[in-house]
Amino acid sequence: MYREFSRIGRDLFIQGLNSSHSGNMSVRLGDRLVITRRGSMLGSLEEKDLVETGIEKNDSHITLASTEIGVHRAIYRNTPALAIVHAHPVYATALSLVDDEIIPIDSEGQYMLHRIPVIGLEHTVGSEEAARILPEYLREYKIVMIRGHGSFATGQLIEEAYQWTSSLENICRIIYLTRTLKGEIKEDKNKKYNQW
Amino acid sequence: MDGSTANRRNGVCLMYGWTGKILRINLTDQNISTEHPDHDRYREFLGGRGLGCRFLWDEVGPGTDPLSPGNKLIFMTGPITGTRVPASGRFSVTAKSPLTGTVFDSNSGGIWGVRLKKAGYDGLIIEGRSDQPVYLVIDEKQVRIKDAGGLWGLDVPKTTGLIQDAEGKAFSVACIGPAGENLVRISCIMNDNNRAMGRGGLGAVMGFKNLKAIAVKGSRQVPAADGEKLDFLNYETEKWLKANPITSQGLPEFGTPVLVNLFNEYGIFPSYNFRESQFPDAEKISGETLAEELLVKKKGCYGCPIKCTRVTRTGSDSGEGPEYESIWSLGPECGISDLETIAEANYLCNRLGLDTISTGVTIGCAMEMTENGTFDSGIRFGEQDKLKPLISDIAYKQGIGAELADGSRIFSEKHGGNGFAMQVKGLELPAYDPRGLQGMGLGFATSNRGGCHLRAYMVGPEVLGVPKMVDRFSSRGKAGLTIFYQNLNAAIDSLVICKFAALAVSEEYFARILTAVTGIHYKPQDLHLAGERIWNLERIYNIREGFSSRDDGLPERLLREPVKNGPSKGHVVELDSMLKDYYRFRGWDSTGTPAGKKLSELGLEGI
Repeated sequence: MYREFSRIGRDLFIQGLNSSHSGNMSVRLGDRLVITRRGSMLGSLEEKDLVETGIEKNDSHITLASTEIGVHRAIYRNTPALAIVHAHPVYATALSLVDDEIIPIDSEGQYMLHRIPVIGLEHTVGSEEAARILPEYLREYKIVMIRGHGSFATGQLIEEAYQWTSSLENICRIIYLTRTLKGEIKEDKNKKYNQW
Repeated sequence: MDGSTANRRNGVCLMYGWTGKILRINLTDQNISTEHPDHDRYREFLGGRGLGCRFLWDEVGPGTDPLSPGNKLIFMTGPITGTRVPASGRFSVTAKSPLTGTVFDSNSGGIWGVRLKKAGYDGLIIEGRSDQPVYLVIDEKQVRIKDAGGLWGLDVPKTTGLIQDAEGKAFSVACIGPAGENLVRISCIMNDNNRAMGRGGLGAVMGFKNLKAIAVKGSRQVPAADGEKLDFLNYETEKWLKANPITSQGLPEFGTPVLVNLFNEYGIFPSYNFRESQFPDAEKISGETLAEELLVKKKGCYGCPIKCTRVTRTGSDSGEGPEYESIWSLGPECGISDLETIAEANYLCNRLGLDTISTGVTIGCAMEMTENGTFDSGIRFGEQDKLKPLISDIAYKQGIGAELADGSRIFSEKHGGNGFAMQVKGLELPAYDPRGLQGMGLGFATSNRGGCHLRAYMVGPEVLGVPKMVDRFSSRGKAGLTIFYQNLNAAIDSLVICKFAALAVSEEYFARILTAVTGIHYKPQDLHLAGERIWNLERIYNIREGFSSRDDGLPERLLREPVKNGPSKGHVVELDSMLKDYYRFRGWDSTGTPAGKKLSELGLEGI
């Protein structure tokens, strides 16, 4: 398990989906979860950076767990997810500040994710509000954006949640780049995915 | 800091945050007076521990016997005490310690400090000695010295209850129990029934003065220079306290005993008088077990959203606690794993006014000396039925308890067992095995008040990853980090803020809060500088009392006996190399004395 966390964490950092100490990941193990340590560097995780604690019950390891532990627990309690990746993708975060939803305009993005909700919260980091609201969306969507903060993606494997994160950022880069170009987009399928 | 927003009314310069007023009571001649310290003194020493140390330096001269009328008890609040800043309801008391002979401050939560501030005082200095037992009643309008003949001999809850019956429930009470009256060197001052100014034997200083209690009441507002900004900063601070799993989940759900299982797993949870670094029955006494078996409800200090206090009940008794340190000292340190026994021993210490850490560690020392054959004190590891009677004997100085009442250092020296006293400068060590925490070891050795975990709290970077995780077994680089946290915590203790808040909020927040409250622009660096000034003044105080680098040590066991088992196996504290760096980085000479240049930098050149 450590190798999987280490591999995905490194890729998230190298791709610029997280800064040096941002982001977190977890996997579900029945009524427990393994989550990255608060303040750990996902790009160079060590075994001691993985913290196991309960999904329903706290124990002493809560003192080491990621700040977003409450959101991870809420997602596991309310969705069938077995893995979660929380990242701070730059283009997606920028778009979340100006759009109410992210609609892919590239073919891969439309196949993969269709539509990504943007959720505005008063408290974005480790908040009860996020823990209450996010699971609802993640029952329906693979990945969601918290406005101005970052993404939460779920999957059955940590690699799957990573894939949605990486795809989201690709989608947003393409949107950003096309918005900076002067020309009109030749084919826009937005209307379809607005209804997703 | 650069300049102050003076609050002028009718030509009189007023202050924000601080009241600008200190109450002084001489118990010898019953003279009561107030004074207004220079504003620069407030700016430089902040409040709490810092101002307390400055007053002690000025007023309690070298060689003063801690148990003499010349010693003073200096209660101090801080500039943000009484505001709405989360976790700011603490206060401190400073005196020369009868246990260590050093400058000593001890701080506590509850509401007593807030009431003192709201009565209109930043602090209260008690000097001299009454010839009869007395207690003080302080409110916004008057200060009275009253006869405490009827209270003498009573325990803490009875004393508190009777004073509140007589003066009113709006009064908050700080008092001593029988241990303080009997001049026990490990006695404490209790406030609000269950909160303790626990360490250093300051209860005996109060007992010597024949001062049984201090009741305070007040309702004045503490004005802030920029209330709107303070509201925003409070909002931001609470946001981070709620976001951090330590302050929003670990401490609220399990209290400080949340650390038991974790530290045991890491091999830094000492047991059997530090012979081992783990305890096989840790789970039975953990925060999780406490929550399941004894917890009645949770409580918090004034204005604190963390609410780490546990109200608990056993089969035959009830009270508050035990905290992490008390579970350890009255449990694994003595080889005891029965949680009800530990909780009841803790309730008893609180009622009698005993420091739970020093009590447990002194008993642990006696247990090892008995088992080792050095001296038969009549108690061995694990003899839980003897624990409560022995605690009572310590408080009343009966039997072997009369000798244990002086703490582990004096007891072990007297009976030829120096190596068994787990103490630094006479103060018993707390619940962390420094062989698995090199920085903590350096923090213990260099602490100005003796073996204390809270001066540097290197558990933050060495275990909890606050602000970042460092290699706990490495001694390299620990001197600089230890100094950084010693200075910062000296400032935090002077504000006076709960250290748990600092696990979630950085000093940048504290500087901004202090600026909004006082109207004086403090940068984070100013807090570090104030902390360094306070640290150096404490050091010079101790040097004036005859302390030197030879006192910056650790018990031989921690330096020479490697941990036998578990994750810390094979380690000892590599103190010598860290200590050399420490003195150099402090700008001190090789004997650990602050040099003239350093004192100049800190504005202490006149000292």
